[in-house]
Amino acid sequence: MTIALAVSPTRMELLKLKQRVGLAQKGHDLLKEKMDALVIEFFEVLRRIQEARMKAFDQLSVAHRALSMGFAVVGTLETKQASKETKRELQVEISTRHIMGIAVPAVEVGEVERSALVRGYGLHMTSSVLDEASREFERALKLLIELAELEASAFAIVRELEKTKRRVNALEYILIPRLREALKFIMMRLDEMERENFTRLKRIKAMMEKRE
Amino acid sequence: MSADRLIKFELSKLNVHLPERRLSLKEALSSAKPQVVSRDGSVHTFKREELEFLAGLLPEADRDKLQVPILIALEPKLGRGTARISGEAEVKVVSQVLEKELTAVELLIYRPEVAILRRKLPTTTQYLFLW
Amino acid sequence: MSYRIAVVGDQDTVTGLALAGATYAHIHTTNEETLAKLNEFFDSEEIGVLLITHRVAEELGYDFRRMVRTKRLLPLVLRIPDKTGYVPKVDELREIIRRTVGAEIMIKKESS
Repeated sequence: MTIALAVSPTRMELLKLKQRVGLAQKGHDLLKEKMDALVIEFFEVLRRIQEARMKAFDQLSVAHRALSMGFAVVGTLETKQASKETKRELQVEISTRHIMGIAVPAVEVGEVERSALVRGYGLHMTSSVLDEASREFERALKLLIELAELEASAFAIVRELEKTKRRVNALEYILIPRLREALKFIMMRLDEMERENFTRLKRIKAMMEKRE
Repeated sequence: MSADRLIKFELSKLNVHLPERRLSLKEALSSAKPQVVSRDGSVHTFKREELEFLAGLLPEADRDKLQVPILIALEPKLGRGTARISGEAEVKVVSQVLEKELTAVELLIYRPEVAILRRKLPTTTQYLFLW
Repeated sequence: MSYRIAVVGDQDTVTGLALAGATYAHIHTTNEETLAKLNEFFDSEEIGVLLITHRVAEELGYDFRRMVRTKRLLPLVLRIPDKTGYVPKVDELREIIRRTVGAEIMIKKESS
């Protein structure tokens, strides 16, 4: 934000400046309210993230334990092979939602958990241990996708918060002080001019009286 | 952009997330997909469980009086962090959600209460910035 | 719009999430290879969510952070623990918000 400080000391200019200070102050106060609201929204999302993280990460470690079992029972190579052969077509629906004008992603995950048959790895390798591992990872994946949505929302809110804060600061520390300074300058100049006028008038008056 | 225009631009953006027209709780409840269209063209969808929760707080007759989303009006002249809830039915439900005594047709709430309200009613409340 | 899932990490993470239906997968060996693969994933119109282990993300360091910072809205990127449960001590979100709104608000909020 740049403003010209070259102001001419007139009543008109004074009035204009007063309006500008008013606008800047109004903008500042409202953006500060917006900032506060964004902070509330952020901490609400953060609270949900913490819950979602705990759930998702717990499930992920359960899944890893099940996979280790799979490696042990079915064999590492066979398990890897199964992971290549299985149907890997999970899809998520992603659209956008708005929080206070900020676009945040809205993710919809259908059913991630599948039956052993639908998973589709070669039946010759089907093993209940492998199915168990698949099921646990399916559960984990669903929770992780939900978590990804929340984290993306939090980042979007933070970005808007940063932007709003920059504007608030520019108004508070740059624009408003400069405008006030210009205001002070004009008022001083106007006062001064008035005093000069006054003394000049007095002098003229005195001169006129002398002449009479 | 000049500083003044930038400020006016920011102010003009403050309320674009608000709906063109709000719905009465009754309308929202009877809709298969309860939603409103915002001024910026985006669609805002209400969670049914929230609508039902609100309905539970109101006598049948008041359900067409309550407009959703309920507006949390932030107005700097009220003091930073103070918000106003207007409307008889709106004040009634917000008072109950916040466990506040029911007073007049208007209710002033403060930052921590705004946070609670947003937590309990994430899709059926929205911020309105006033000046 | 429908999107697919991609996963980048160690052998176990990739095997497990592939079993669960993730379409794209890359097992990390060298930074160079993984970064090239990630470029591909970030350019893909098909991928909606990218999961990457914290450990690999950390190993890739600045290059990965820059990729995430300059990406489009999608794919969403989520860092996840690997088999050992590894997550860094410093939480990125908390770090950013602390910088943005200041520590006072953090403490007030956390205790409320």
